[in-house]
Amino acid sequence: MLTIDTLCYQSKLRYVNAGEKFAFSILTLLACVVGRSATASCVVLLVTGILTVYKGGIPATRYLQYMAAPLSFLILGTLAIVLHISKTPLDLFAVPVGSFYLTGSRASMGYALQLVLTAFAAVSCLYFLSFSTPITDILNVLRRLHCPRLLLELMLLIYRYIFVLLEIASAIHISQCSRLGNRDYKTALKSFGALISALFIRAMKKSGALYDAMESRCYDGTIRVLDENYPPKAMEIFWIVLFEGLLFLFIFLRKLGTL
Amino acid sequence: MKKRRKQFLMLSTAFVLTFGVSVTANAMHIMEGALPASFCIAWGVVCLPFLWAGFGSIKRSLSANRRALPLLAMAGAFVFVISSLKIPSVTGSCSHMTGTGLGAILFGPTAVSVLGLIVLVFQAILLAHGGLTTLGANTFSMAIAGPLVSYGIYKLCGRGNVNRKAAVFLAASVGDLFTYCVTALQLAIAHHADASIPAAAGKFLLIFAPTQVPLAVIEGILTVLVITALETYAKPEMRAIGYLKEAR
Repeated sequence: MLTIDTLCYQSKLRYVNAGEKFAFSILTLLACVVGRSATASCVVLLVTGILTVYKGGIPATRYLQYMAAPLSFLILGTLAIVLHISKTPLDLFAVPVGSFYLTGSRASMGYALQLVLTAFAAVSCLYFLSFSTPITDILNVLRRLHCPRLLLELMLLIYRYIFVLLEIASAIHISQCSRLGNRDYKTALKSFGALISALFIRAMKKSGALYDAMESRCYDGTIRVLDENYPPKAMEIFWIVLFEGLLFLFIFLRKLGTL
Repeated sequence: MKKRRKQFLMLSTAFVLTFGVSVTANAMHIMEGALPASFCIAWGVVCLPFLWAGFGSIKRSLSANRRALPLLAMAGAFVFVISSLKIPSVTGSCSHMTGTGLGAILFGPTAVSVLGLIVLVFQAILLAHGGLTTLGANTFSMAIAGPLVSYGIYKLCGRGNVNRKAAVFLAASVGDLFTYCVTALQLAIAHHADASIPAAAGKFLLIFAPTQVPLAVIEGILTVLVITALETYAKPEMRAIGYLKEAR
C-alpha cells in the first residue's frame, strides 16, 4: 500500500548501519539547501541516484517515477516566480495581454532554474533515506539523538497503526465499489464520508484493544523494542566523510568566491 | 487552420488536466529543498512554542489517564490515513484531504499540533509529500495555523448558535483555505525574485487557486458528512475523546 515502505525493506542497503545512512542523507540535504549551487546539486543528484538505484537495487523506473512526483509543484512554483504582469516588457520574453505584458526576466529565470535543481537534489537525498531505511531504524537513530521518548513512542505506535487503518480503509473501499458506491459524484462523496466515519469508529475500538493488550503484557508507561544493530564499517564511514568534506569545502569556497 | 486550433485547445486542456491531477497531491506541502536554510530554521523556531504547548498538554492528559496514549496514536494514524486517501473529485483526478480541520474539531488544536508534526514526518518519508528541511514551514501552515483557525471558527459558531453543519463546513473549508494562504505567503517571503512580497504572494495564490479552492469546498462537505455520521453512530467513542461532553 505504501510503495516506498515496501521497497525500502527490499533495498540492498537495508542492513547498512542506519546512523550512517541517516547522517549521509541529512548532511547532503543540508549541503544542498545551504549551498544552493547548481553544480553541487547536479553532483548530489548523480551520487544519490547511483546509490539508490545501483547500490540499493531500487528499480530505475520506480525511482524516476518518484522523482517526477514533485514536478507539478515545481512547474507551478516556477511559473509563479518567472511570470510577471507589468506595463513594461522584461528582457527574456513578453506576451502582450491588453495594455499589459505577461513577461519574465532573465534573472528570475536563472533563479527559478537554480531553485528547481536544488529542490530535485534535496528530494533525491530524502529518497535515498526513505528508499534504504525503514521507519523503525530511523526511530532508533532518533532515540540515540535523544529525541523526547514520548514523541518516539507516539511515532512508533502511529507507524504501526497506519497499516492497520490503511488495510481497513482499502477493504471498505473495495466493498463500497462492488456495491456501486462510486456510481456518480454524489454517491462517491457520500461513500467517502461513510468510509471515514467507519474508519474512525474502528480506530477507536482498536486503540482500546491495543491498550488492553499492552496492559496485560505489563505495560508500565514505556514501550521497549529490540534494537537490531548493524555496526558501521570503516570503509563506508571513510567514503561518507570524504564526500561530505569535499561537498562542504566546495560550497564554502564558492560562498567565499561570490562574497 | 480551424482543425489546428481545435488540436491546440485539446492538447492544452489535456496538459492542464494532467497537471491538475498530480498537483493537488503536493500543492499544500512545500516540497523538500524549496526553502532557503534561514527560512527553514525560522519557521521551525516559530513552531516551537506551539509544539511545546501541545507536548505539555499531551503529557498532562497522559498522566491523568494512560489510556490516552494509544488513543492519541490512533488519532495520528487516522489523520495520516485520511490525508493519504484519494478523495472523489470532479475531474477524476487524484487529490487528498488535509484532515487537519477534522482533526482539530475532534481532538483539539493543541494535540493536533504535535500529531501533525509526526504525520508530516511520515508523509515526507513514506509518501514523499513535503520534506525534512521544510518540516518547520509545513508544520506551521498545516498543523498549527490551519487547525487553530478551524477550531476557532468552530468554537465561535458554537457560541453564536450557528447551525452545527454550517459551523463544521465553515471550520473545515476556511481552515483549509487559510493553510493554503499561509503556504503561499511562506513561498512568497522566500522567493520574491524581483517582485515585492505581496505581489509574489498574490502570484502564488493565483496559480495554486484553481486546485485549492475546489478542494477546500470538498473538504468542507466531507467533514460535515463525517461529523454527522459520527454523531449518529459513534456516541461512546466521541465521548471518550471528549468531543460530546463539550458539545452538550
